Amino acid sequence: MTAYIVRRLLATLPVMAIVAVCVFLLLHLSPGDPAAIIAGDNATPANIDMIRKRLGLDEPLWKQFLLWVGQLARGDLGQSMFWNTPVLSLVGQRYQPTLSLALTTLCVAITLAVTLGVLAAWRVATIVDRAVMGFAVLGFSVPVFVVGYLLIYVFAIQLKWLPVQGYTPIEEGFVPWLRNLVLPSLALGLAYVALIARITRATMLDVLAEDYIRTARAKGVATRTMLLRHALKNAAVPIVTVIGIGVALLIGGVVITETVFNIPGIGRLVVDAIARRDYPIIQGVIVLFSGIYVLVNLAVDLSYTFFDPRIRY
Amino acid sequence: MKSSRRSILKGSAGIAAVAGAPAIARGQARRGEQNTVRAVMHGDIPTFDPIWTTANMAAYHGNMVYDVLFGIDANFNPQPQMVGRHGVSDDKLTYTFELRDGLKWSDGSAVTAADCVASLRRWGARDGAGQIMLSKTADLSAKDDKTIVLRLKERWGLVYDALSKTSTPLCFMMPKKVAETDPFQKIDTTNGVVGSGPFTLNMAETKPGTQYVYEKNPHYVPRSEPASGIAGGKVVKLDRVIFVNMPEAQTAVSALQAGEIDFYETPPIELLPQLESDRNVRISVLNSLGQVGYIRLNYLHAPFNNVKARQAVQWAVNQKDHMAATFPNPKYARACGSFFTCGTPMESDVNMEWFTKGPDLNKARQLLRESGYDGKPIVLMQATNIEYMRNSAEILAKELRSAGFNVNLVPMDWSNVVQRRSVKSPPDQGGWNIFITSGGGTATAHPINLAAHAATGDKGWFGWPENALHEQLREKWAQAETLQERQAIARQIQDNAWGYVHHLYYGQWIQPAAHRANIRNLLPVPEVIPWWNVEKA
Repeated sequence: MTAYIVRRLLATLPVMAIVAVCVFLLLHLSPGDPAAIIAGDNATPANIDMIRKRLGLDEPLWKQFLLWVGQLARGDLGQSMFWNTPVLSLVGQRYQPTLSLALTTLCVAITLAVTLGVLAAWRVATIVDRAVMGFAVLGFSVPVFVVGYLLIYVFAIQLKWLPVQGYTPIEEGFVPWLRNLVLPSLALGLAYVALIARITRATMLDVLAEDYIRTARAKGVATRTMLLRHALKNAAVPIVTVIGIGVALLIGGVVITETVFNIPGIGRLVVDAIARRDYPIIQGVIVLFSGIYVLVNLAVDLSYTFFDPRIRY
Repeated sequence: MKSSRRSILKGSAGIAAVAGAPAIARGQARRGEQNTVRAVMHGDIPTFDPIWTTANMAAYHGNMVYDVLFGIDANFNPQPQMVGRHGVSDDKLTYTFELRDGLKWSDGSAVTAADCVASLRRWGARDGAGQIMLSKTADLSAKDDKTIVLRLKERWGLVYDALSKTSTPLCFMMPKKVAETDPFQKIDTTNGVVGSGPFTLNMAETKPGTQYVYEKNPHYVPRSEPASGIAGGKVVKLDRVIFVNMPEAQTAVSALQAGEIDFYETPPIELLPQLESDRNVRISVLNSLGQVGYIRLNYLHAPFNNVKARQAVQWAVNQKDHMAATFPNPKYARACGSFFTCGTPMESDVNMEWFTKGPDLNKARQLLRESGYDGKPIVLMQATNIEYMRNSAEILAKELRSAGFNVNLVPMDWSNVVQRRSVKSPPDQGGWNIFITSGGGTATAHPINLAAHAATGDKGWFGWPENALHEQLREKWAQAETLQERQAIARQIQDNAWGYVHHLYYGQWIQPAAHRANIRNLLPVPEVIPWWNVEKA
């Protein structure tokens, strides 16, 4: 197992290298001039040129790339061109909201989705099954920001039950922290619920058709035990795989959700940086996210051994 | 399950508690912030150095933590602010400014003339008007701890205007050690911001990109006069002002209605009816001069290196259509044919036939034919992420096509426009023919303060118009000593500028702010929003 983990971790290096090259080239070859944005609209071309020179943006592309890669190799993601603050420091300020949102969304989505998927499979071809599948289609079709604004309108403006926006750190209280995350988690989780519910239903249907399930029924095993202990555990591997793949969906959704609900997380940091062409932040965060995504998938692969003891690394 | 009366009553009480709890919790959370204003401004603060950038949000920050030697009052007249006594010699060459008593930096140390001299030099290296002032300066020095002496080589009537203006960068005073930073490097704010303004920046609670927390500066000594513009007594009546970065307009509007923020600087015009119907929200116009929209033509390449082609555009543009597209409420937008902002002392009506009788597409087509236009596509850059620019580019494309131009409308975001407009190559090699932007009404009203008013060719602002007479008249305006003289010269500038078509306008508009009804005494000032004088009931 250890050797497998080490091999997988080493394999992330070429992945990260490719991501680094792609993101650097995409950014620097795309139109947009951070020096002009920094200088402001009233600045003269001479002023802008001076700023460009001070930021090192007039250097050849290969030189800028090597400089950045050298920093990356030392674990330094660079410094924001606007705030003169290390990117890692900015990420450090912002990771809690993003992590909180991602975890609450995962908890809500997985709990809801697996429940709905199991229900739909158990009651296949009934109105329950159709309702769950209809809900899944809706979840996939409606954009996150539309769901977000609808939730804000109903629960924050009309009912005044929950706040419109913002984030309260958990240190300031669990309830305030949770209250700020309810609506964003629901908005972000909807598409995730849709995805996982459908996969859960499909794999559960396969498993429920197996001989050992029929045997369990014949032996008089309670329905709940049959579904959860015998069927779901055996259906878990594809479900967990989809949860892992869906983290990419989550990362993309976090960016939109943080903007709609004004959550000061890493997603918002990147969106604002893109508008300003703050290259170090964009590059640094994308490389970081790609690393996280690879690690998440490693965790998913390792979790298989929990669900299926026959799997060994 | 049997239900008893007792269980029903218990259940109802429970439901009421659950329903009421959020409102109670929200009330408790806000009780601690009774005298704090949460304000969503038009953008994020890009840097804590308001001299290094001309971005307005940096000036908003500067206005909180720094002070100025002079500031404009509500009638746009320069008034002393940090300066107590001041005077100018009979030959109009030597200006003497004596600082007021008791001025202190936020770290408790005294403000000295040496601090101000260093600050003037740094600002003068970056600001257009400041550069002109310093180029005419023989000597700028501190005579003693409280007295600044500015000795000019030649008369220049805009010293007070330049020092008091609200167009960026404002002439903020900083401690000497900070002001001696290279003007093209940002000041170091790692250990905090030291200023002599009415507020201080709470670095511990400030999170760049998220929120900026300003607290009352205990060392600040306000003037005794009532507040007026950015002059007068800057008496702070709030405990804290928090600038919240909230780029999503609908979220900001909802947050304002829910009472989660107190002020929103730029609510979308189409959402104003929603806010106007809310009895807890007020709409206020704080900048009566608003913004002026420009159409910049590229003088370096055909067809706009030909005056007839430029005049063809002049006769094709219908400002009312441009304004109606983005600002359907006529209360907030108008057409303006003056070269200098309508509603200001420099406004005039000379050489405006194209405006009073136009648009006239037949005349536009005729002028275009006379220019010898060859039908080559003209590149019109469209900033798609800024609504009024996106709409105006669409309308302009249609107007120009009707006038006979072959228009290639190129969509991109504003960052791309900013980058591409600096390219001097031909349009079909990465350059451009037209871009659309806007400027503050105050800056546009002033022949010197606005970089876009220069006609110095390829040394000037993007578009690079060139006209020797225009530059002579600007210099003459700067030398003028009375308002009447300046107005007469402004008329000459307009007459000439509309003749060679320096650039074009697509309208003038006002962006009202929205705030909770319990926020009072906001000061109407163009280009910045002062937070002194403001009260939260």
